[in-house]
Amino acid sequence: MSAPLLRAEGLHKAFGSTAALHDASFAIDAGEVVAVMGPSGSGKSTLLHCLAGIAVPDQGRVLYGDVDLGAASDAKRSALRRTDFGFVFQFGQLVPELTAVENVALPLRLNGVARRPAEATATEWLDRLEVGDVARKTPGNISGGQGQRVAVARALATRPRVLFADEPTGALDSLNGERVMELLTEAARETSAAVVLVTHEARVAAYSDREVVVRDGRTRSPELTR
Amino acid sequence: MSGWLRDLALGARLAISGGRGAWVRTAMTAVGVGLGVALLLLAASFPTAIAARDDRTSARDDYRFGVPEVRRGPASLLIADAPTVFRGVDVRGRLVQPEGPDAPLPPGLDRLPRAGEVVVSPRLQELLDRPDAALLRPRIPGRVVGTIGDAGLEGPVEAAYYAGAADLSVESGARRIDRFGSVQPDEGLDPVLAFLVVVAVVVLLLPVAVFVAAAARFGGEARDRRLAALRLVGADRRGVRRIAAGESLVGALGGLLVGAVVFGLATRVVPELPVASLSLFASDVRPALPLALLVLLAVPAVAVVVTQIALTRVAIDPLGVVRRGATRSRRLAWRLALPVVGLLLLVPLLGVDLTQGEGFNPVLTSAGVVLLLVGVTALLPWLVEALVDRLDGRGGVAWQLAVRRLQLDRGASARTVSGIAVAVAGAIALTSLFGAVEDDRAVATGADLEAAQAQVYYTVRPGRDDAAQLDRRLAAVPGVRSVLAWSEASITEAAHPDRSAFLTVASCSTLRRLARIRSCQDGDAFVTPEGPAPGASVRIAETGPWRVPADARRVVSDPKPSGGDTTGVLATPSAAADLTSVGATYADVALDARNPDHLEGLRNAAAAVTPLAVAQELQSTRDDRDLAAVRRAVYAGAVAVLALIAASMVVAALEGLHERRRLLASLVAFGTPPRTLGRSLLLQTAVPVALGLVLAIGVGLGLGALLLRIVGSPVRFDVVPILGIAAVGAAVVPVVTALTVPALRRIVRPDGLRTE
Repeated sequence: MSAPLLRAEGLHKAFGSTAALHDASFAIDAGEVVAVMGPSGSGKSTLLHCLAGIAVPDQGRVLYGDVDLGAASDAKRSALRRTDFGFVFQFGQLVPELTAVENVALPLRLNGVARRPAEATATEWLDRLEVGDVARKTPGNISGGQGQRVAVARALATRPRVLFADEPTGALDSLNGERVMELLTEAARETSAAVVLVTHEARVAAYSDREVVVRDGRTRSPELTR
Repeated sequence: MSGWLRDLALGARLAISGGRGAWVRTAMTAVGVGLGVALLLLAASFPTAIAARDDRTSARDDYRFGVPEVRRGPASLLIADAPTVFRGVDVRGRLVQPEGPDAPLPPGLDRLPRAGEVVVSPRLQELLDRPDAALLRPRIPGRVVGTIGDAGLEGPVEAAYYAGAADLSVESGARRIDRFGSVQPDEGLDPVLAFLVVVAVVVLLLPVAVFVAAAARFGGEARDRRLAALRLVGADRRGVRRIAAGESLVGALGGLLVGAVVFGLATRVVPELPVASLSLFASDVRPALPLALLVLLAVPAVAVVVTQIALTRVAIDPLGVVRRGATRSRRLAWRLALPVVGLLLLVPLLGVDLTQGEGFNPVLTSAGVVLLLVGVTALLPWLVEALVDRLDGRGGVAWQLAVRRLQLDRGASARTVSGIAVAVAGAIALTSLFGAVEDDRAVATGADLEAAQAQVYYTVRPGRDDAAQLDRRLAAVPGVRSVLAWSEASITEAAHPDRSAFLTVASCSTLRRLARIRSCQDGDAFVTPEGPAPGASVRIAETGPWRVPADARRVVSDPKPSGGDTTGVLATPSAAADLTSVGATYADVALDARNPDHLEGLRNAAAAVTPLAVAQELQSTRDDRDLAAVRRAVYAGAVAVLALIAASMVVAALEGLHERRRLLASLVAFGTPPRTLGRSLLLQTAVPVALGLVLAIGVGLGLGALLLRIVGSPVRFDVVPILGIAAVGAAVVPVVTALTVPALRRIVRPDGLRTE
């Protein structure tokens, strides 16, 4: 049995006097979709931030392959986030002054890809996610559902090995949310990306292979959902 | 009315409730507005501060011109000037000798010092406590017995003393007075100076007003989103405007409070910050009541008006916020109209003779300058829009983010740099104007600084051989290479009362240097072509009638090292033996000025001859001191304004970062290096600043040319100071970026991504 692609052990993380994570653990294999569920304030997003190398835990380890993210420098973690990780946030967080295609091309350009090939790749991903017609529009001029698909395209454009999605459908209606999840998981499986999906909605969690429940900063992993 | 008040109150509550974000926004607005208010209050204090200073100098004035002579009596006082300079610090000195028990007392003293006593100012006491005070002490006659109070000083850094004397006389140069205090009517500033002051005040205060208006719009996007939420629950369009007004008022009132505190702190440090001899007591810095009230009322009014204007460009609908006009080009016509009207107000001043005081209307002048400079703030957004729209985002990620940001919100970037553009344009115009007027007013002294570097002079004491004595005394001072000493008095001819010349009495060696004399021995006399004929009867000022020796030979004079020709009669001491005294005594001194102690030694030697002697460094030009004082005050004001603008840009940048913190955190989350974001911030500031500076230089040169024509000076510009001002304006960019980067690093933390 091969080692997990991304693994966390005994994570502790506090913000001031508030313990966000308490002895939390996690593991995900390549190509797997794992839902991280729990009520508001349970520590789901904090767990995701630690797994993604955005935050450094106070105690415990996060191993990506053989890289200890907690011990890695900020530059190393940033580089990993550019090349190996992708992110989708609840509110998209698209750059409002860039067009859709420029938003999707942004991580590629940060990786040193020239503008034209980056935007060509971005256009392909926008077409795949059925929002090719909004390529030249800015986020202020597209719907919420379209914006979230653009955000998914941005996350997948670099072909990440791990995709982190924090409440990706939280701001969408159920129809749009379902379509976004279908496209996201489909594209992820095609690229064999692992997906860490933070959600408090059971219908979103249904797209995952298994769930990890976070409650009061602790993790619990029930059986596979399918 | 109750609806109005309710909406205003709701707006006020929104500004301060709503958690940390609302407090931060309101606090930033208050700080931004507060800095502007503090500067406005300082400016409003300027008239009272100068008036207080002038009152003190007027109260101690002891010169009398055009008034009946004071007779000696129980209430009369003899007073003589005994100024000196120590290490570049002017020392105001007076020798006083009461002639009766009721002699007047100068302000700041509780009794007159007796002979052998001296009362000094705190600043002079500091100089006397210095390690090198041995070079000053010989010139301060007497034992220090007291301190001059604030009422007797021009400002806290004035070095001054009153020393008791027992040998003063009117004949030796003292004045007799029966009271202190100016008896001359105040002539006021000459019209050209008044014109310069008005222009300077407008130029300095306008950027502050522009900045206060910009600060009132901090947090605009978040406010618009809040108002959209209120529209959703039923507020109508007028209601949201009133609510927005309530929010602005909170920020503005907070700004008044912050400004009052900053102003209070500033008054404490004012005495510690003299600007080139313009020093003020803390108690002098009180805003004139009408101006203070104007600030208190105008700032909130401006905040509300500016917010209301901003809302005209935004449609706040229940479903969200739409910015109108984003696709509509800004109209150029009315933006050009402002500077054109300003020009029309100033053009009538061309051709009037300001030096005669005619045609100068301060209201029209300031209105014209204001409209021209406000034109900069109106043109800048159009210029930014016209040029930024033509930029494409090709280039690195930082450039792409910056250009797109500018294209999305051109108004905000233009507003931020409007203050710099106005300040730079105004400073260029002022610099050109001051430079030209100072050049015009500088009077060449004619001094030959190769031949002499200092001059000593004093009104003669009874005795004719002062020049020889002075020569010997000064020649013994370390560092003195040569001394040229003579006595001089003005003479008039009875036959030609309209013609005046001088009688110069000196040794042969000195006379040979003052005129082309082949041979000379004691007893000889000479006349120049401009002077009386040999044997003529003349009247010597302060002395009486005299006859020019009949055997006086004709010679041609040469310029003195200190400047000016020796015209009239040149006589050796024996040729003027029948005179008991001759006018004033002068000595041009060649001095090794590389060691500053030599000049101080020269001053001590002069003071040993008489405390009334003046020893001064020679200058090639004599500048207008009033103009120089105004120029220094203006430059101090310009520095303060540019510092305010830099501080305001930092606050604006921080406010912008705060509004976009979640977006910035997400960019860092997927790997955008913070330095890329930092470069993008720098470019977002640099591009509009660069455009603003181009516009500012053009407007500044144009306004400067117009102002030069108005004061009758030829239009010419000194490139170096202009480039220097532009460089200071440009330097704001890296300074603001450097001060903003630490906040950027703090903001792009994972906390920005928390949705729970």
